[in-house]
Amino acid sequence: MGWKMWSLKKSPWVFHVNTGACNNCDIEIVNCLTPRYDVERLGIKLVGSPRHADALLVTGVGTCQAAKRLQEVYRQIPKPCVVFCIGACALGTGIFHKGYHVAGPVDEIIKEVDPNAIIAYVPGCPPKPEAMISGIVKALATI
Amino acid sequence: MNYQELNNKLSEIKDKLTGIKQTAENRVWLSCESENSYAINKFLFEDVPLRFVIATGIDCDDCFEVLYHYAYDELGSVITLKAFIRDRENPAIESITPFLPGAEWIEREIHDILGIDFKNHPNMRRLILADDWPEGVYPLRKDFPHCKLKEVKK
Amino acid sequence: MTEGLWILFWIVVFPGFVFTLVVGLVASWVVRKVSALVQWRVGPPFMQPFYDVMKLLGKEVLIPQDGQTKVFIFAPLVGMSGVLLLSTMLCQISIARTTFVGDIIVAIYLMVLPSLALILGGSASASPHAQIGSAREMKLVMGYELALVLAFIVVIIKNGGQLSLAAIAQSTPVLSISGMLAFLVSILCIQAKLGFVPFDIAEAETELGSGVLMEYSGALLAVWKIMQAMMLVALPLFLVMVFLGGFDTAFWRPLLAGIGKYVLILVLLILIKNTNPRVRIDHAMKFFWVYCGITLVVAVILATIGRELSISWL
Repeated sequence: MGWKMWSLKKSPWVFHVNTGACNNCDIEIVNCLTPRYDVERLGIKLVGSPRHADALLVTGVGTCQAAKRLQEVYRQIPKPCVVFCIGACALGTGIFHKGYHVAGPVDEIIKEVDPNAIIAYVPGCPPKPEAMISGIVKALATI
Repeated sequence: MNYQELNNKLSEIKDKLTGIKQTAENRVWLSCESENSYAINKFLFEDVPLRFVIATGIDCDDCFEVLYHYAYDELGSVITLKAFIRDRENPAIESITPFLPGAEWIEREIHDILGIDFKNHPNMRRLILADDWPEGVYPLRKDFPHCKLKEVKK
Repeated sequence: MTEGLWILFWIVVFPGFVFTLVVGLVASWVVRKVSALVQWRVGPPFMQPFYDVMKLLGKEVLIPQDGQTKVFIFAPLVGMSGVLLLSTMLCQISIARTTFVGDIIVAIYLMVLPSLALILGGSASASPHAQIGSAREMKLVMGYELALVLAFIVVIIKNGGQLSLAAIAQSTPVLSISGMLAFLVSILCIQAKLGFVPFDIAEAETELGSGVLMEYSGALLAVWKIMQAMMLVALPLFLVMVFLGGFDTAFWRPLLAGIGKYVLILVLLILIKNTNPRVRIDHAMKFFWVYCGITLVVAVILATIGRELSISWL
């Protein structure tokens, strides 16, 4: 697996992107990063720039407007990196299935840029912070 | 003003309205045609005076409607003006932005989504649709085929 | 030959690069752990800063196309080498007690290098966020450098114009009024230099999307983090030597006392960090120039009076 992936699992820094969500998942992500759930024990830190990040937390259905921007943010993350699709909308467009503004679920948008992207899914509407932590831990354990 | 005085005030523009309805104690509906909407809006905003809340656009099958919602805070009531636009090919209505700058964005949004042309709007640009959305395609019209989404975008 | 090897060992292993790096990363773990305990949570495991640096070394380095590549790459290296030199010098003065006259001036100059490197690195990244961050860091440096130098001048006056750190480290100026004032002001200046809240304006995370270091990634970001860790060793050590009576490395009671003084300053920094919000840049400049400036002018006057009339507690 190499020391690069091993050290990435020990210290994943996250960057949060909202591609057109209703903000419920964003509120839950911010909840997850508060001292109550203490994600710092896992080494997780919220960073302000995609260039510092290892994991991308994407919420929201992939709207047309945000699709190109999301691809640009993904290209700016130094590889190796992991993409987490948080919430039912990011997984498979959720209730916006045939909406006029939807370019596709987030994993299709990311796979256009990088077919070998590592993508993990955390379902829920919105997923509880405990579910998000469990999802991150399980995903990092299986890489 | 209590409700009686409010009703009296609203009757001053009775000749331009096509109907006044009061469905609940704090809910008044006024209807008019699109040609008179500018004058009635000016009256409601400046002379009564009421607070503008938001506007709504509706696509009925044979006409368009633009609803202007006003609030009268002393009584806690909402007064809505329904302006009917009978022309389905080129729907147009006078913009109320010149005297009510707060309506600028909602009129841009109604134009984006329903295609109603607001005459004399100072800043008619795309607001909420994506930058690469094709011109002349209005998503929330009843005849927009939402299943043919991908073809529209290609 | 052995002289050269000995100097190489001194600079690279002990007390140079490796020693300062390890102690700095342990100190940054202490900062994070104490901050976590203050917030009633568990906090990171002991090796977490080491994992962070290791992970950063394994990521790819992205260089912005429009940026100045050479300055972009050399800025963190210059900053790190400045801090490394400072830390080696201070440890040598503590351990081997060899020094030269005027070394406190060299130390003050070397302490400016990491801030300068931040400013240069931020300007060389072609990003408006980094530019705002570097402009704010410039203003912050203008604010606290004056206060810091004045605080050290208080100590120099109290020691009778003595410019040699080994001699200054023998006395404890903090046990007097002017010394205590200067010590408190210098703790706040060190807080600003380390980039801790309330003065982490350059790297304001929620405001500027990481500010100055926005475009750095991979190994270059690792160098910045190493530089910040090493600053956690060098700067409190400098304060210990100037104000608190030096770091005597004789085994074992003086060594323990020295470590205790270092930990005291670290704990003060952590407590201030955890109990304050971030200030705006104009508030920070007003704070350093007006409040700290007046305090230090009073301290200089008291120190001069104390020196002239030989009153030691002034």
